[in-house]
Formats: sequence, structure tokens, C-alpha cells
Amino acid sequence: MASLTEDPVLGINDIKEREEENEKGNTQVVKTEEVGQSERDMASATGSSIHRSGSRPQLDLSKAAIQGNFEERDPTILLPNQSDDLSHLALDIGGSLIKLVYFSRHEDQSIDDKRKKTLKERLGISNGNRRSYPILGGRLHFVKFETNKINECLDFIYSKQLHRGGMDARIWNPDAPTNENAVIKATGGGAYKFADLFKERLGVSLDKEDEMNCLVSGANFLLKAIRHEAFTHMEGHKEFVQIDQNELFPYLLVNIGSGVSMIKVDGDGKFQRISGTNVGGGTYWGLGRLLTKCKSFDELLELSQLGDNRTIDMLVGDIYGGMDYSKIGLSASTIASSFGKAISENKELEDYSPEDISLSLLRMISYNIGQISYLNALRFGLKRIFFGGFFIRGHAYTMDTISFAVQFWSKGDAQAMFLRHEGFLGALGAFMSYEKHGLDDLMVHHLVERFPMGAPYTGGKIHGPPLGDLNEKISWMEKFVRKGTEITAPVPMAPTGTTGLGGFEVPSSKGGTLRSDASALNIGVLHLVPTLEVFPLLADPKTYEPNTIDLSDHGELEYWFTVLSEHLPDLVDKAVASEGGTDDAKRRGDAFARAFSAHLARLMEEPAAYGKLGLANLLELREECLREFQFVDAYRSIKQRENEASLAVLADLLMELDSMTEETRLLTLIEGVLAANIFDWGSRACVDLYHKGTIIEIYRMSRNKMQRPWRVDDFDVFKERMLGSGDKKPRPHKRALLFVDNSGADVILGMLPLARELLRRGTEVVLVANSLPALNDVTAMELPEIVAEAAKHCDILRRAAEAGGLLVDAMVSTLDDSKGHSSSVPLMVVENGCGSPCIDLRQVSSELAAAAKEADLIILEGMGRALHTNFNARFKCDALKLAMVKNQRLAEKLIKGNIYNCVCRYEPLS
Amino acid sequence: MQQTADQQVHNLIRGAGKAKGERGRAKMDIVESKQISEPIKSEAQISHLALDIGGSLIKLVYFSTNSDSSSSSSKDSVAVSSGNEGRPVLEGKLHFAKFETAKINDCIDFIRSKQLRLSGFQKHGAPAGERCTIKATGGGAYKYADLFKEKLGICLDKEDEMDCLVAGSNFLLKAVHTEAFTYMDGQKEFVQIDHDDLYPYMLVNIGSGVSMIKVDGPGKFERVSGTNVGGGTFWGLGRLLTKCKSFDELLELSHRGNNRVIDMLVGDIYGGMDYTKIGLSSTTIASSFGKAISDNKELEDYKPEDISRSLLRMISNNIGQISYLNALRFGLKRIFFAGFFIRGHAYTMDTIAVAVHFWSKGEAKAMFLKHEGFLGALGSFMSYEKHGFLNLKVHQLVQQSPVDASRGGDKIHDPPNGELNENQSIDCSICLS
Repeated sequence: MASLTEDPVLGINDIKEREEENEKGNTQVVKTEEVGQSERDMASATGSSIHRSGSRPQLDLSKAAIQGNFEERDPTILLPNQSDDLSHLALDIGGSLIKLVYFSRHEDQSIDDKRKKTLKERLGISNGNRRSYPILGGRLHFVKFETNKINECLDFIYSKQLHRGGMDARIWNPDAPTNENAVIKATGGGAYKFADLFKERLGVSLDKEDEMNCLVSGANFLLKAIRHEAFTHMEGHKEFVQIDQNELFPYLLVNIGSGVSMIKVDGDGKFQRISGTNVGGGTYWGLGRLLTKCKSFDELLELSQLGDNRTIDMLVGDIYGGMDYSKIGLSASTIASSFGKAISENKELEDYSPEDISLSLLRMISYNIGQISYLNALRFGLKRIFFGGFFIRGHAYTMDTISFAVQFWSKGDAQAMFLRHEGFLGALGAFMSYEKHGLDDLMVHHLVERFPMGAPYTGGKIHGPPLGDLNEKISWMEKFVRKGTEITAPVPMAPTGTTGLGGFEVPSSKGGTLRSDASALNIGVLHLVPTLEVFPLLADPKTYEPNTIDLSDHGELEYWFTVLSEHLPDLVDKAVASEGGTDDAKRRGDAFARAFSAHLARLMEEPAAYGKLGLANLLELREECLREFQFVDAYRSIKQRENEASLAVLADLLMELDSMTEETRLLTLIEGVLAANIFDWGSRACVDLYHKGTIIEIYRMSRNKMQRPWRVDDFDVFKERMLGSGDKKPRPHKRALLFVDNSGADVILGMLPLARELLRRGTEVVLVANSLPALNDVTAMELPEIVAEAAKHCDILRRAAEAGGLLVDAMVSTLDDSKGHSSSVPLMVVENGCGSPCIDLRQVSSELAAAAKEADLIILEGMGRALHTNFNARFKCDALKLAMVKNQRLAEKLIKGNIYNCVCRYEPLS
Repeated sequence: MQQTADQQVHNLIRGAGKAKGERGRAKMDIVESKQISEPIKSEAQISHLALDIGGSLIKLVYFSTNSDSSSSSSKDSVAVSSGNEGRPVLEGKLHFAKFETAKINDCIDFIRSKQLRLSGFQKHGAPAGERCTIKATGGGAYKYADLFKEKLGICLDKEDEMDCLVAGSNFLLKAVHTEAFTYMDGQKEFVQIDHDDLYPYMLVNIGSGVSMIKVDGPGKFERVSGTNVGGGTFWGLGRLLTKCKSFDELLELSHRGNNRVIDMLVGDIYGGMDYTKIGLSSTTIASSFGKAISDNKELEDYKPEDISRSLLRMISNNIGQISYLNALRFGLKRIFFAGFFIRGHAYTMDTIAVAVHFWSKGEAKAMFLKHEGFLGALGSFMSYEKHGFLNLKVHQLVQQSPVDASRGGDKIHDPPNGELNENQSIDCSICLS
């Protein structure tokens, strides 16, 4: 376990980085040297595993929600494999807002130790030179400023020295002296208007990129590279859509900025601006400011949620004395004339509530945009309309109104869709226009989205300076406890019934029941992980859905909310203990508990807040949250203790197994896997068990209780494949991938003996384990040592481990056993690319993908990997799913059984 | 004030043109006459009133006989051929008047004062004591039915709004020579519509809200679209923003305004440059009211004139665009704009025309109607015929004397004592059945 303690995942370097970011508000110049140093430090913190770097705390928080600053911080894309430490900046300077995308890159310090090298050679992986040029590793940060506060933007760039790194020349030649002719890619009208200002203040030239071009390339990138980027929004209900790449084009892109552009997109770089309207976000804000004295767009938007437009809009019913104009399908509540009531009364501006005005204005403009968009889509037969731009801001009412207009006028033929990164299309597109960034090559599976601790509070809209260090984060959490409790109490959202020709209905209830703030989208941190790949053995990657449990079912969500909440105190105890139980650890533990509770509360309130969410994502969220508060491995000591205890009895177990006939042994081994799977700290029921006996006692008791038939019992089919029937001896599998679950008995007394049996039969074995800790799951870092220990008791394991290169460090020097070396098939360990108790096989490590190429047997073990996820997954080879169900609800739901029932599901390749 | 006579119009008006009576069964002599706000004396022989009670305005169309010497403008009218089948023929004028819906009592007083209610809308030969009914359309026909009953003892016979709009529009386009005109760059040009080539067309009625109707023939039409951003929006928002007391005042203000103060132009974003690649000139409005966000200026710091101008452009342009897009769907080349929003206001028409021209790349044409505001009321009036209460006798249209087709009817009004605001009257004759 030594490797664990050396794990630099959440090292002090992160804090440095954040401190530096925190200086952005200051006018003081950060010396370039320091920046470089700090970034290099940060880079060195990037461990061998991709996700390792992904687990770094993100800087998405700021006090600005408190201070009312206007810097907005959005998703960060982490690009960890970057071989450079410089930044890159692109701007979209619109009429109202400046959008900034900047990019900080990290050095790739993958630990190419001997073991990995051997493994890579064996698996035929060349050392990351699969591309002609590397995909940049690093992070994309998204920030915005109001255009009329451009100085804040300039200060921000200056303080972070983004303009110095933003040069192509330096990116590819880091040692080059700082170039005085720095160039920054920029789009939007402001790229022209403010060119001189940038030159004067920062000494940089703005390289103008065409606005439409940028919008389109930004949208194409998002729609291709980010899973479930698009969603529909009808009557308060979000539904995420995965668009088939082959069916993406053509589509209509409607970018609602100050004005509105409507662009027909036919392909990458193939598009035409076909229309637009001057009634856009600027109109809403401009008119809204004049009418309400609001100080910001967001304030105005917020007001609308409390409004009732019926006081201002003239409805059909107002004209028809409360009646519908049914002949042409206009209901009494249809808006006949926006602001039409303001004419017929003797009321002045002061007599109308700003809330009502804002809502009326919002509906007028949203509906109008929806209508014009549809009419244009119709001209070109486009069925899909994507709405982006800063006007929308994830605002439920806006989206509903637009959707309604499109739905209504098209009679359901066309669909309005929205983008989670709606505001950054142009800036992202400008960023894409730098050559050689490699983003073009990104695929969906390269990106992992994470939701940092601030997400539940800020909905992805974070203002002000970023939080500096962990301490600030914790303080922030403490400050927001009160706000957190507000969030915990969800406000019911009234569905917006909208019907009628030429207009739309007023909400069926008054604004008071519309949720405030909660309607905003949460945008997580996008970690770009170029080495992730789709698991090649998936039978149909397109239809593959990892999650067995759909959390959009509110009942399920509620259940898991309860499970996770109840488990939380125990988890915090473990986490705090793992860090030595210090005061600091306690404080971090509290903050973690608050942060995670807030996540849960946010999700209870708005299940779609974090995009399409499965149980796997929820469990991963918890792990990420732990890592965010620098709990590197909460179960470290428990895992260690259990590993030791299990290793101590392994020899006896192996001896017992060896005394059995082949057939009995196979059954006993499977029983053993199922029995050992009871050791699971993720299961409340099992945690209670632990207090009642020793590991081996529980193991034996558990195994003895394994009464066949199990609830799902395909053992006989599996046995026939393994042992054959009669004299027919089947050909052994060439290579088996064993997805292991927990540390301790589970892996040592369950999976390892099974692996040993496979090895004995001439099947290569690849143990697939987590890249990062999750609960008491064993990690790929820990496994070699465990195997090495086990190999001390077993020749088969030792020879295989040697052949697999697992013992290069631990054993080779002490043993000189060349005899068996050539005679054994290898035992290998690969990381799976994730840090969650579940596994999404659309995104696995390249190691695993490589190892899978020659595999013809997959064994998925444990609830997380075989039940919660992948229970319904189909593979291109034989697959065995083994798990003990340690959860009554899941048992009922999935196998119509009970807690402690077992699943042995064998699905041979037909 | 009201003498904003449009010489252009004046000059364009020609002598009699031949128009075929479409259905052949009715004839009507029509002479356009200048008759501005002339109070009709109470003894006038007034009959056949029809109403269009909209959300903002009440439009009245009524007929007065020429035999009533008090109708001063009758001198221009043309002798009408005698009625057929021995039925009484009344010669006279169709008058147009409007009131604000909010001041409906003025309208009621007017009707009462003109003894309109006495004018025998009963079915011919009905007992004297039988209550009067008058044709009415628009939402207010429902909303105010009780009020009319109570105050005037009149029943409102409700006619469908769209039916009326289309009937009124068809009638005007066929019967009145100088009804439709285009408006570009301040130039008004009357268009002769070939009656055989009238359909299909798009009728856009801009009242408080906007209805877009595809008209395929007499009585054949479909409301294909609409928008809630209409005249009511202009007036409503305008009132809130400028404290203007009337629609016309607001419109008047816009004459003197400069929308560049408030609108964000392409040039504002691009530092004075065009965005040529997509064909946007620097003076194109990128975002209406978009400049109001970037200044530290409050409402008071903007001139009402500029606000009005900006608002007018926003709404006119939007209506023009949506109308064009809908016309495009159905391949309609002609779009007629009507309704009280326009009021013959040059800038409004110009903006709408420019929008249609811009978006259609010159393919579609915006046209306007002189009696723009009265389509519904006229259609409602026509429905008497439909229901057999009377026959409109439509003679060949003869226009004997040059007529000042001024837009004087659009004068700013806040009519004291409920004085009517008339549009142009039309001389005609009707034949009571």
C-alpha cells in the first residue's frame, strides 16, 4: 500500500494553483516566473492515471454569489495529458457579454514504471504515440464578463497572464521568449471594436475569427463530443438527448445573444446564416432595464419568476369577455397582445410590478424567437432546432416558452433543443480555430463530467474570484449551510400550460410557485481524458446504457437519496479516521458531508440538474466529493487490514481448493466469489455484519449458506463451457478479464482463487480494477502488491504474475525462477479508468481497451459492476456476472428475490 | 392638423375605372369623399350600423343617406341607378368612425346621439317594438353585449372576426380602386389589383395583436399564423416608457426620434464596421433596445421620441418578418397589411415594407389598405347582406371628381364629447330587401 501514501492526487500543488487564480481580482502583476513554476508544480501533481488528475479539486467556486460580482465561471474541461504548461485563450466579445475560454495545460507525467512498461508491451500498446500530434491535455475554463465592464475582463487576463501564454508560437515552443506580438483568437463584434483596447492594455492583437464560423464549430464540437449535451424542455421537464452523429446534420442553430442569429448547419464548416431577429437578449435586458430598473440581466430574469403577466398582457379572454375564441383555437388565456393591457388602463409604469413586466417581456421575446425559428426551420425542412446563447441561461420558463412556440407552430414536427454549454458556443469555436489543439479529434468517450461542490448552490453560474484553497472552500461550505437548507426544501414547479394560436397561455399558477434559481442548469466540470476509450467488447456501444437503475424515476432517486444519506455519517467517520482523525480532517469531513448533502438535495429538487444521471454517476459523485475535500482514500486502513487478514488465510483456502475434484472446485470457487462478495462497505447490511465476526468466519459462514439454485443460476451452463460434458474437453478461454470489486476477502479469497483456476487452465487473466479508490474497492495500484503477497503462497500465481510483469519490483530480485517463466500464461493488472464503484464501459482506460482485444471471457463481479451497472450489458464474448445482492430493494427489483440472494448470470457468445 | 393631405394620393386618384361586380348580384356606387370629423347632425338619416369592437379600439361603419341634406359631403356622390325589383334604394355614404375601447361610453353616447338605434335594423316589416340588433364583430361583441343591451337596448349580433376581416378586405380590394398601395422610401404607390389575380393573398391584420390570414377566395380563408407582438404592444410598452396619452401621440413622437440612441446596431458591435460576410450593414439593428443595457442611463435619460421610434421599428420589423415567412410557406407574393396599428403612418409602413423586402430579397411585396382599420367593421356591415337584411347594390365604381384621399382621418384624437373620428367615407347605395 506504499503507493497509496505517495499518491500525489490532491497534493499541496493544487492549493498553489488556486491561490494563484485567486489573485485575479488583484491588480498586482503575478510574475510570469511564478506562474510557470506554479503551473509546473501543478502538472507534476498529475499522476499516472488520467482520472487521478481529474480528481483534483476544481475552482468553480467563488464568493461572488455573496459579493455580487459578475465574473462567471463555468465548466472546466480537464485535459490532463497535455505535454506543455502554457495557456491558451480565446474570446467571444458580444454586445452584452464577453465570453472567455482559456486553457491551461499540464505536463504528462505518466508513471512509466517497469510494470507498466511490461504490461504495455504485452498488450501491444505503444507509448501514447498513437496520434501524429498529441491531444492537448489540460483544462478549458469558461468565464464571462459583461461587455460594459471590459476592464474587469482585461484585469482578469492580465492577472493570470493569459495573454502571454495565448500564443501559438509559445505553445509549441515553450522556451521561446515572450513574444511581443502576441495574438489572441477572438470573435464577436467586440473583436473589432475593442481590438485597440486589447493592444493598448495587454499588448496583444486580436485575431478575428468569423462569428458564425465560431458558433457553428462550437456547437458541432459540443454536440459531437459531449454526451447528452442537448436536451428538450417541455413544461418544466428536461429530457436529455443523445444525437446520433450520423443524423446530426442538417440542423438549425439559433444563437440568442443581444440579437438572434439563425444558422442552417449542414456539416463541419458547412453552414449558412439564413435569418435572425433584432428582438433578442439585448431587447429583453434593455427594455427590462428601462422598465424595471434592474441592475443585471440575471436580476431581471429572477424577477420574472415571481411575475404574473396577465396584469399587463392582453389576453384573448380580455377581449372576448373571458371567453375563448374557439373557432380558431385561441383559448381565453392566450396572449393576444403583449403589453396590450398597459394601454387600456389609467395605470402608469409605477403601478405595474417589475415582476409582471419582466415575465411579460420574457414571454414576448422567447415566444417570438421560437416562432421565427420554427418558420425558418420549416423553409429548409429542418426538424431539429438548437437554441444557444446567453439569453437562455438554463432558465426553465424561457426554454418552455421557446419549446412551446416551436411545438405549437410546427404541430409537433419540429423540436426545440437546448445546449448545456449554451453561452460558450462562440468562444469555444474561437478556441477551436487555433490549429493543432487536437480538440477536433475528441470523441464523446474522452470527456468525463464532474460536479464540484459548488454546483448545487450556484447552478453553474458562479461569479467573482475563484476560491483559493481548501480552507476557503470549507469556509464557503460553512457559510452556505443556511442557503443549503433552503435548497433542501424544493419548491413545486407548476407546469406551464401553454396553448392557443398566436399566443400562449399564462402559467396556470402565479409566479410564486415557480421555483427560484432552481431552474438554472448545473454545469459540471468536463474532464477531457484523451486516453479513454469505448470498451471494445460491447456488443452494441450505441445502445449500451450502463445504468440499470434510472434515477429519473423519482422513487428510485428518493430511495438512493435515503441510502446515501444514511450511510454518510459512517463514511465521514471512515474518511476522517483515514486522515488521522485530526481537527483538520474533521473540519474537512464536515464540509464534505455538507457538500455531498447539498448535491443530494439539489438532485432531489431537480433530478435533471446534473444532466442525465444514473446511479453510477451518483456514486461517483460521492467519491469525487470526497476527493475534493482531499480525502484520498477513506477506506485505506480498512482495506489494508482486510487485505492482511485475508492474505493470512489464503494459503489454507488454496490448499482446501486443491484437494477438490475439478468439478467441485469450480463450484466452490464460484461460491467463494459470491460469498466473499459479502465484504462490501458500500452495503449497510454488510457493515453491520462486520461487527459480528472475523473475516474468515464470515466468509466460511457465507459460503456455507450458498444454497443452489441461486436466484439467478447459470452455473451449469458455465461449468459445461469450462469443463465440458463427458469426454469432450472444451478449449480453454484465451484471455479472461476479471472486473474485481472490493479489497480484502472479496478479491483475495474470491476472485484471486478463481483467477488462479483460469490460469491453471491456460487462460491468460487480466485483473481489471479501479484507477482511483472508491469505498473499499481494490485499486489497480494496490493489486500488484496483493498479488505479490499471494504469490508467496502459490506457484501458479507467482509464475503467472511474473509472466505478466507484476512482480518486477517485488519479486524478481529475490526470486530466480526462470523454470516456470515460459510455461505460464500471464496474470496482468489493468486499471479500468474510473474511480467509482460502478463502471461505465463507454469510457474505459486505453489499457483495458487494449487488454480486451484478445479476451474471450469477461467476468464482472460485485453489485456495482454487475448489477447496478452492466446487468443488461451484452458483450462480443462470453460473460459471467457474479454478485451477491446486498440490498433488499435491488433484489426485489432486479431478480425478484431477497437480500443476500446471489446472481450467477452466464451469457455465452451465441 | 388633419389636413395631412397626401398629394401623392390625390394625384394618383384617377377617374372611373371599370371594375367587374364580382358576384353580379349587387351593385354599389362608391365615391370617396373627404369628410373629416364632420359631425353628423342628429337628424341625419342613418341606418345600418356595424361594429368591430377590438381590444383597443371600437370601429364603426354606418350608412347615411344622401337624401339627408345635412350630410355635407354628399355633393360629390354620384347618382345611383335605381333599385331593382321595386325595392327601396337608399343612396348615401358609408361612414367610418372609431373610439377607444376603454372609452366605450363615448361610443354608446355617440350611437345614441345619432339615433342610430332608431334607424331600423330590424328585419323588414318587423314589429316596431321588436328590439334592434346590430352586427358586431371582435372580442368586444361578446364582452360588451350586455352593456349595449342595457344602455341602448340593442342586441349585438356577433359575426366571426376573421370572416369579417376577409369579407371587408375582399370588398375593398375589389370595389375601391385606390385601396391598395405600396410604400417604399416614402413613396406611396397605388396598385391596381387585377380582380382575377387577387387570390391567394396574405392578409395581415395588425390590431392589438396580429392575425395572418391566407385568403383563397371569397369566404375562403385560413388563419395561418399570428403574433402577440402587435399594436397593443407598441402602445402598451410605449405608454409605459414615454407617458404618452394616446397611440397617435406616441406615433407622432416616433417621427422625430432616432432609434440609434437605443438600438444596438451591427456597427455598435463591430466598431462601426459592416458584418459584410453575412450581409449585415453597420446600420442594421442587431438588437432592439440593446443599447439600453450598456449605458448607465435610466429611462428618464432617453428621449421619448427615440424610444417610440425604436419600439416602432422593432414591432414593424417583426411583423414584416413573420408575415413574410408565413407568406413564403404558402407561396404568397402579396401581403396586405391592415389594422389600426398602421394608421397610414409612413414610417411604420416603410419599416414593414423594408422588412418584407429584405427577408424576401424583393420577392414578396408589402401592400397597405387605405381603409386599413375598418376591415372588420366593414365585413361586419357586409354581413347584413349575407343574412338577407339588405342588398348592397354595387354599381360600377364611378369616381367622378377628384377626391382628396387624405389621411386626415388619422388625426390625433382624444375626442371630446365622443365626437367621432372618421376615416374616409364611401359613397354608395344600398337596397333594402
